[in-house]
Amino acid sequence: MALSPVVTTTSSAQNQNTENFQTLRAVSSPLKALASGSGQTSSNGTPKPALAPAPTGQTLAPTLDLAEQMNEEEKRKYVKGKKLGEGTYAVVFLGHLRSSPATRVAIKKIKVQKEYTEGMAPDAVRELKHLQELQHPNIISLLSVFSSKDQNLNLVLEYLPLGDLEMLIRDTDNVRYGAADIKAWMGMLTRAVWFCHENFVLHRDIKPNNLLIAADGEVKLADFGLARSFADPHRHMTSNVITRWYRPPELLFGARYYSGAVDVWSVGTVFAELILRAPYMPGNNELDQIKMICESIGTPTEDNWPGVTRLPEYTVPGQHPTRGRDWYEMRFGIVGTDGVDLLMKTLSLNPQKRITAREMLQHRWWHSEPKPTRKDDLPRKDESAGEDKMGMDLKRRPGMVADEDRGAKVARKLDFGQR
Amino acid sequence: MATEDERYRQSSQFRLWSFSPTSLRELRNKTNDLAKQQIAPRFAADAQPEFLTPGEESTLVQFFTTELIRAAQFCELPTEIRSTAAVFFRRFYITNSVMTYPPTELLKTSLFFGCKAEGYYIRLAKLAEMFPNTTSEQILAGEFLLCQGIRFAFDVRHPFRALEGAILELRKRLPEEEGRIAKAHAMARDILKFSPLLTDAYFHYTPSQIMMASLLMVDKELVEILIPAGSRTGEDGDKHMGSNAEMREKIIRTIESCRSMMEKEPPQRMKEYWETPELVKSLKPLRKKLQKCRDTDRADLVALQRARREQATTKVKKPTGTVQSDGAVFGEAVDARDVKRRKLEGANDLFGPPL
Repeated sequence: MALSPVVTTTSSAQNQNTENFQTLRAVSSPLKALASGSGQTSSNGTPKPALAPAPTGQTLAPTLDLAEQMNEEEKRKYVKGKKLGEGTYAVVFLGHLRSSPATRVAIKKIKVQKEYTEGMAPDAVRELKHLQELQHPNIISLLSVFSSKDQNLNLVLEYLPLGDLEMLIRDTDNVRYGAADIKAWMGMLTRAVWFCHENFVLHRDIKPNNLLIAADGEVKLADFGLARSFADPHRHMTSNVITRWYRPPELLFGARYYSGAVDVWSVGTVFAELILRAPYMPGNNELDQIKMICESIGTPTEDNWPGVTRLPEYTVPGQHPTRGRDWYEMRFGIVGTDGVDLLMKTLSLNPQKRITAREMLQHRWWHSEPKPTRKDDLPRKDESAGEDKMGMDLKRRPGMVADEDRGAKVARKLDFGQR
Repeated sequence: MATEDERYRQSSQFRLWSFSPTSLRELRNKTNDLAKQQIAPRFAADAQPEFLTPGEESTLVQFFTTELIRAAQFCELPTEIRSTAAVFFRRFYITNSVMTYPPTELLKTSLFFGCKAEGYYIRLAKLAEMFPNTTSEQILAGEFLLCQGIRFAFDVRHPFRALEGAILELRKRLPEEEGRIAKAHAMARDILKFSPLLTDAYFHYTPSQIMMASLLMVDKELVEILIPAGSRTGEDGDKHMGSNAEMREKIIRTIESCRSMMEKEPPQRMKEYWETPELVKSLKPLRKKLQKCRDTDRADLVALQRARREQATTKVKKPTGTVQSDGAVFGEAVDARDVKRRKLEGANDLFGPPL
């Protein structure tokens, strides 16, 4: 049965969304498509990626520079749709692939920051830099970047319509989940963090509303606005990162040299929050945060953390003994003994003793009963709520700890009121 | 296949900025052609200037890369940042012509943005102070242009850490030859700071290949220790041995060709060639030629940037219909350019030629 040639040209469009994305990513070098002919990517013997798809249709204006042509070509691959959300940092639009309208994307247009007079905002630079490099099922994928003519940056991101983990945690009236669901979500989060660290990237802003949910239930780590590469020895880093409730004690004490352990602490606090369905240590300010850590986990001292008292801003409100296993079992018992063990290891006060992301993946909890829920069976909110939430999450200024405090905390307090 | 290789192939450096020599040449020719096509209409048919050839453009980019390195040294920027800036600069001039955008300006912009991309936040005003007759605005004017030119790929993989790794490995293997290793380390590092940046090494080879090539330039035997022949005597016998030997041969061949590329620009060339008054003098005709044939509309980045901004703000006020077509949302870049051109016509050379 012969198909019309008109139909066959769009055959790739009938693939699943994810497959489309993969094709896109594999050929995402328009340079290669433009430099026609040459069969090899480079002389070092590395194979050339899959062939470029047919050109997008219209021929490009010959008056453009090569760089502009390539930009136009990227831009034309997508059609911008309705606005999902707008903030001071970015506007988020729904969009779709021109060649395959069923393949939806989110287009995040970063606004020019008037108050920042030093050019492109550092958070946009960081976000782009790291998303360009990290491709993993549990990390939001950057499908394309292009500039619109008013010199705004447009990030084409995969469309994640089911909101974020925060809204599932908060909606205690309508959303029910259990130990197997927590295990599945934690597995996805841990793999995302492991992959970042494996690529020498610190995320530095892990929290439930940065964990977005794809249509198939897969959790994706988003918002790399505070990320950075691992620093070389002796090059210090800022300690003013990670939203306060998820910030580890070493950063609260002003450590300038730190490691992937800072992210692992955040993962631990998200783990606890998934179980309690409320933030575990919601401090009102930094001192309060330290106090809560001392009360909930134990006071950092030279005994449990050699050297801690020499950190630049070490202050503790009083001496609390380190909490024992029984104490954790009482509060977090629903994830079982093995789950509690993993939680305790992520919340180790001493970052050198804290479990690493790789060790986390090797922990026995993943193999103990119950098995993690399959991602299609995970609890979810409906798509309309999720879409708005995605708009809200993506438009947010990355890692703005101060901003976060004004708006979001009020909302959270109201949430608690309902319980 | 080793997973490390796979991971490198996911990097933007491989996906967007690695080419075969042929495709790189084609891109440069195309860029040069497009620039000529765009600039030619601005001259009367009988007064067409002589345009730069792709080869001449490359020479100028090379020269301005040495200027960039010197400027970075003067500003005391760390090695990695200096190298990132140089790579940005060279990437930019693959898809943009020297005749279109002035390299003297883009050089400073590359330095500034290189710092930003590496998370090293130097104050813009402080950087501008370091250069004569330079304002913050001038440095910033090219920033977005640069970002677009480098395809928003801000992560550059350098061979410096690879060298540190190889040196640690060598120290373990040859504990009694500390002196020799230290010497090779220092020399290879000097090479990496210069030779791959002045040549196309970053476009054709991986960081580890570049690192091995630098070691090959200083002490061939050390490379043989790191890539030993037939040391992987697996238990599965000859079959694997054969393919290993083949792979090794291919690796050695690649490293050798990278070495011969870098040997054209050994670090001593900086002092003995690029910085000599004779060289600067010999480049004069080329720079004169450039001044005669460049795109006068786009030589002044500050004015260009202002025009773009202005245009963007007036554009925003257009009525917002309920359903916007793509054209309305994404804009038609072609007529944008025309508007800008018209605006700039007559303002030619208001600020004089660069340098």
